[in-house]
Amino acid sequence: MAEKVRFIIERQDGPNDKPYNQEFDVDYRPGLNVVAALMEIQKNPVTVDGKRVAPVTWECNCLEKVCGACMMVINGRARQACCALVDEIKKPIHLAPARTFPVIRDLLIDRSVMFESLKKIQGWVELDGSWDVKDAPIQNPYTAQTAYEISHCMTCGCCLEACPNVGPQSDFIGPAPTVFSIFTRSENLTRPNVLTRLWKRAALPVAATVKIASKFAPNLSSLQLTSRS
Amino acid sequence: MFHTTFYVRRLHSLCGLLILGFFILEHIGTNSMALAGPAFFNGVMGMVEEIPKPIFYSIEIGMYAVPFLFHGLYGIYIALQANNNPLRFGYLRNWNFTLQRWTAWFLVVFLIWHIGYLRIYLKGVLGNPISFELLQNMFSNPIVAILYVLGMWAAIFHFCNGITTFCMTWGITKGPRAQNVISLISMGLCAALCLATVAFMSSYYIY
Ligand code: SF4
Ligand code: FES
Repeated sequence: MAEKVRFIIERQDGPNDKPYNQEFDVDYRPGLNVVAALMEIQKNPVTVDGKRVAPVTWECNCLEKVCGACMMVINGRARQACCALVDEIKKPIHLAPARTFPVIRDLLIDRSVMFESLKKIQGWVELDGSWDVKDAPIQNPYTAQTAYEISHCMTCGCCLEACPNVGPQSDFIGPAPTVFSIFTRSENLTRPNVLTRLWKRAALPVAATVKIASKFAPNLSSLQLTSRS
Repeated sequence: MFHTTFYVRRLHSLCGLLILGFFILEHIGTNSMALAGPAFFNGVMGMVEEIPKPIFYSIEIGMYAVPFLFHGLYGIYIALQANNNPLRFGYLRNWNFTLQRWTAWFLVVFLIWHIGYLRIYLKGVLGNPISFELLQNMFSNPIVAILYVLGMWAAIFHFCNGITTFCMTWGITKGPRAQNVISLISMGLCAALCLATVAFMSSYYIY
């Protein structure tokens, strides 16, 4: 018989329902990750005591650590489920939703508060035309490096989950939108010359900014920005 | 005004590190005189008494009472906004964040007792000068002595972790490496000052 991996999943039927735990066994295979295991559970949602239950709900998209959708709490740490390799984590594996955000169902959370914050700080660049950027000022490598790091943010919400200053008790928007505002604060982003202005004032490499809108890369170093004071 | 919180927080940080930090160092300095024996300690205390009263009181109110009340009251407001999570996220900074708030709660109670009893009741109302003998008598109760050591340790940790966070808040240490270096230095200072506290407290049992 194939080796089994035990998952203990904190489930919740609806936004206002009480959470409860359910355990599932998944056949081990080399390279198995948490998202793949959740897919197995979805195919055959039978708990360890043989009860057939509603399949576990979760969210994922890119499956390669660039979209941020699959963020959940795995063995107590907020991280991306798609790159959590079963081989590398302690078993049994505990899965829970990131409760800093409202839970919709099971592991599925509503991260829209982060996008609302990005709207508040106007954390985007409006590309309603094209601009000649060939005369853009030269940027010092340190600033460019910092900007590049921040552009990696995929709004997964790990940093909000780990930060003790984020929560219903405080109006702090969290680390991710805060670092974003470094680039976009005080900029009137609807002005046509915004790109050039961003180059000058906020030191944002255009290429990286456009990337924010289209494709994200995982950024772990921004976790350094959590929990100050 | 839009940025009020920002400025009040800076003031909170500045006042904590510079004024209250100085106050802690001054306390450790003065109390260490106890190591040199009762006579020397009482001599130093006498010198403090020499400061003309109007100057002494204005320093006490302007330099200590007002910053203390501000830092304490606004600090309570800040602490109430935290969602301490070191058990879920056991990173060093999550722990320090939590300890910063726990020590603060302890200090609120401790300082009300400490200032209320020693400064306001014994010195202010009864007019007893603070002397080696008075403290020795007070610390002859081991529970009081332990609470005082804990109070000092809490204040020292709060101050030293405050150095680390001050450097972050004010943009002095921006990168992770610089933050680690400052954090190590301030925790070293924390350990040294905690040991100094044990040393001077023990002098009340030696003499
Ligand atoms: S800063 Fe990092 S942890 Fe926070 S949302 Fe962005 S990618 Fe996720
Ligand atoms: S599915 Fe995991 S980051 Fe996109």
